[in-house]
Amino acid sequence: MSDLNASLESYPSVQTWYQGLREQSGVNPAADPSRLKLLEEFCRSVGLDPDEIIKACLLEKEGRDTQISIKGRRRVAQMVADFQAAAEGLSPRQRAHRGNTIRSFLIHNGILLQAGMQL
Amino acid sequence: MEFKEVVGRRRSIRYFQSWRPVEREKIQIMLEAARQASCAVNATFMKAIVVERDKLDRNTLEALKTPVSGQIELAPIHIYTYADTKAFHGAQGRLKKLVDVGALNVSLGWSHKFVDEFVWPNILKPLAENLPQSIALVAGDVGVAVCQAMLAGVDEGLGVCLTAFVPEPVKKALNVPDHWVPLWCLLVGYPAESWEAGGQRPRPPMEEIYFDGKYGTPFKADPKVTEELKTKKMLTPPAPLPWRKAEVKALAQMFGLPE
Repeated sequence: MSDLNASLESYPSVQTWYQGLREQSGVNPAADPSRLKLLEEFCRSVGLDPDEIIKACLLEKEGRDTQISIKGRRRVAQMVADFQAAAEGLSPRQRAHRGNTIRSFLIHNGILLQAGMQL
Repeated sequence: MEFKEVVGRRRSIRYFQSWRPVEREKIQIMLEAARQASCAVNATFMKAIVVERDKLDRNTLEALKTPVSGQIELAPIHIYTYADTKAFHGAQGRLKKLVDVGALNVSLGWSHKFVDEFVWPNILKPLAENLPQSIALVAGDVGVAVCQAMLAGVDEGLGVCLTAFVPEPVKKALNVPDHWVPLWCLLVGYPAESWEAGGQRPRPPMEEIYFDGKYGTPFKADPKVTEELKTKKMLTPPAPLPWRKAEVKALAQMFGLPE
């Protein structure tokens, strides 16, 4: 991972996430800065920047449409589950919030992900 | 509930009260509605396996999930529906029985001899032996049966949703015969979302999809009928209802789902 940009919001994948939150989820992302902090924490824990996380879920081959990589998606889904589980001293709801924030980032970037109920 | 209102209230419900079991009699009512559906050659092509989510072990439930069907975890009942490609067998006898009970009549050309010497050897037997050709007919019939089951479920106050499923893990878990063709999984449970589920879904205008006499001449909807259907609740307020996003957000928080 290259050093994370000072402003995570400059990454296209984060902009896509924010746009999705505003337009599809009816959420104002600016109202809750904890989202970005959690994403930053996740990025640091896995050693990838936001765009690299999305790329890790994709299969790009020359001359073919980009597809979701089953293996890549599973790997990232596991990273999210580990990130959620690793948070000590938090209630189940708070831990679910950590994992679901990252899942929201992935889903708004078109990565199919159904982790199911987290509570 | 009046039939038109049942049609108007049906939605694809995706958030179920995961904790609330569905009464077995209500499932029986849905299956009976399916069994009574119109079906070609009186063959009940639709076969189904009713699965209680809570009787599945965790690994099996995980195996049944697809990336876009996370709601199977929320639905207490899954009805896996199939087209039975062997249901053509016995059609000859069933048709003759329909002659005997007065459903198929001589006045319209039906007789035992017609069934034995024309319908079976020239139409049904070749169809039964041609899977790609028969599957469209069979799948259509299953669709009719599933639809009746769905509407019966809505009439019982349940939420229903058709979803795709990955055939292989389901086949393995439920011991599905080889000659059953997988179609849809019907999820059933009490809705956790409001029955409106955000409003009646956008559909193209009737004039775009139905034609009058010949293709290209739109079937024009009569505004008076449209108004009557609103009164009878077949037509309900369209999506998006203003509070839908707030509702989805609240549901996501309740179930611990991402937003």
